[in-house]
Amino acid sequence: MPDTSTIIQVIIITVKVGFMTMILFALPLPLTWVERKVAGHIQVRLGPWRVGPHGLLQPFADMVKLLTKEDIVPDKADKFLFSLAPIMAMVPAFAVFVAIPFGDKFTIPFIDKDVTLYISDMNVGILYVLSIAGLGIYGVIFGGWASNSKYSLLGGLRASAQMISYEIAISFAAIGVVMMVNSLSLVDIVHAQGNGILSWNFFYLPVGPVWFAIFFIASLAEINRIPFDLPEDEGTLGAGFHTEYSGMKFAFFMLAEYIAMVTASVLMVTLFFGGWNAPFNIPLPIPQIFWFLGKVIFFIYFFMWVRFTLPRYRYDQLMSIGWKVLIPISLVNILITGLLRI
Amino acid sequence: MSGETKGFNLLELVKKVLFTDFVKGLAITLGYNVSKSITQRYPDEEKWIPYRRWRGLHYLNRDANGKELCVACELCSKACPTRCITVIPMEDDTGRGIADRVARVWKVDLVRCLFCGYCEDACPTRALRLGREYEMACTEMVRTVRHREELLIPQAIPEDMEGGVLVRARFERTSDGIKVPPDLRHHKKRSL
Repeated sequence: MPDTSTIIQVIIITVKVGFMTMILFALPLPLTWVERKVAGHIQVRLGPWRVGPHGLLQPFADMVKLLTKEDIVPDKADKFLFSLAPIMAMVPAFAVFVAIPFGDKFTIPFIDKDVTLYISDMNVGILYVLSIAGLGIYGVIFGGWASNSKYSLLGGLRASAQMISYEIAISFAAIGVVMMVNSLSLVDIVHAQGNGILSWNFFYLPVGPVWFAIFFIASLAEINRIPFDLPEDEGTLGAGFHTEYSGMKFAFFMLAEYIAMVTASVLMVTLFFGGWNAPFNIPLPIPQIFWFLGKVIFFIYFFMWVRFTLPRYRYDQLMSIGWKVLIPISLVNILITGLLRI
Repeated sequence: MSGETKGFNLLELVKKVLFTDFVKGLAITLGYNVSKSITQRYPDEEKWIPYRRWRGLHYLNRDANGKELCVACELCSKACPTRCITVIPMEDDTGRGIADRVARVWKVDLVRCLFCGYCEDACPTRALRLGREYEMACTEMVRTVRHREELLIPQAIPEDMEGGVLVRARFERTSDGIKVPPDLRHHKKRSL
């Protein structure tokens, strides 16, 4: 029989995991609305307007539509892989959030117990996040392969080639941060940036902004967003890897994509912009989670903003940016960072 | 990347490193993002009032005494390229001096009509005009033929209104089709 503190520990973790999963399942609903609103206003339109006030109920209408749509599996498709692929895309996107720190610990008033705003503080947090996020690409590749369609296959191939080129750059950027902070744990990385805005890794001159630029560009490619959304390039590939998907399976891919965007925003905030730390010493009692969410929301908006600003790159341009620009720059930058840390 | 230009251009390199083009693009889209939308909220809140030259639903005029101007000369139906206007004349022997030639039936088939306006050009007494009503969608075929009695009712947008403005409106779904009655008191110029 385990003692009471262990049981409480287990309960707390279970509650946190359940809560996190709920939030992540619900998150794409507002995000689709926000994305369409941002698209609308950037194009001087209004965006969703008719379903509910300011179109706020539009995501629910979309959800009902996706749930009731016919779930078509193509005749010649690999049935098992075809059904497995959306899950393969979705599960890693959720699993990443085990290691993400949202805030420091706080004490629950009545039972007098410290609760941390992260599920687990791994000492290899950043390694875990990058590797699990990299697994998500299997869903895309499987989906492209199992659909038995040329467009889907090309989308899947592009996704894998793109992943190989940009995973290196993103890992180098993470290595840069690890070198600046001397820790692989995401919680430690945030703690190291706790002394105001100038201690954030972004302002670790001269290498911080370069690392951030590399990380940002590479994560755009990682999460398949414009200007690097070649795997689902509707101009040349129909809809890319999810051409044959409909209904709930398509919704899972969308879910994974939006959560990947949130993950990328969260990682940028954690690695470069001080996580939950306030930029200045403000005497007001503003909760840490507010700073964290504010920064994450800014970066989510920034991703959408970029999406409706830049056109899509050609595939060879994408490859040459990855191999000829980002990787050499990150190698040089590692050298400079190492010299600065001596 | 700079394959065309031979030699080393420092300015271009600095621009590339600082992402100046990217930042310029972002500034433009941000400007549009915070600017006011140009969407006309038709039919929920706004409605476009066309200019006088607009050729919409037909209407028949009366003179100052309330007498119909139409003399049933049938020129409109002769001028009509699609033969959508039917005029059947009759003698008005209800009194008031000599008998007049008036229309017993004056109807227009809106499904056939192409709104060319030849009928109003042909009309010798300026009885017939193409008005500024343009919501003619309906669910019953009967409603596509409009008769004299209905066309004699003045339309919502008066003849002397200049047009070319957005007015406040509301959306109504009635048994004979949709209606967007305008509220002519509140009007504004179109924003773009």
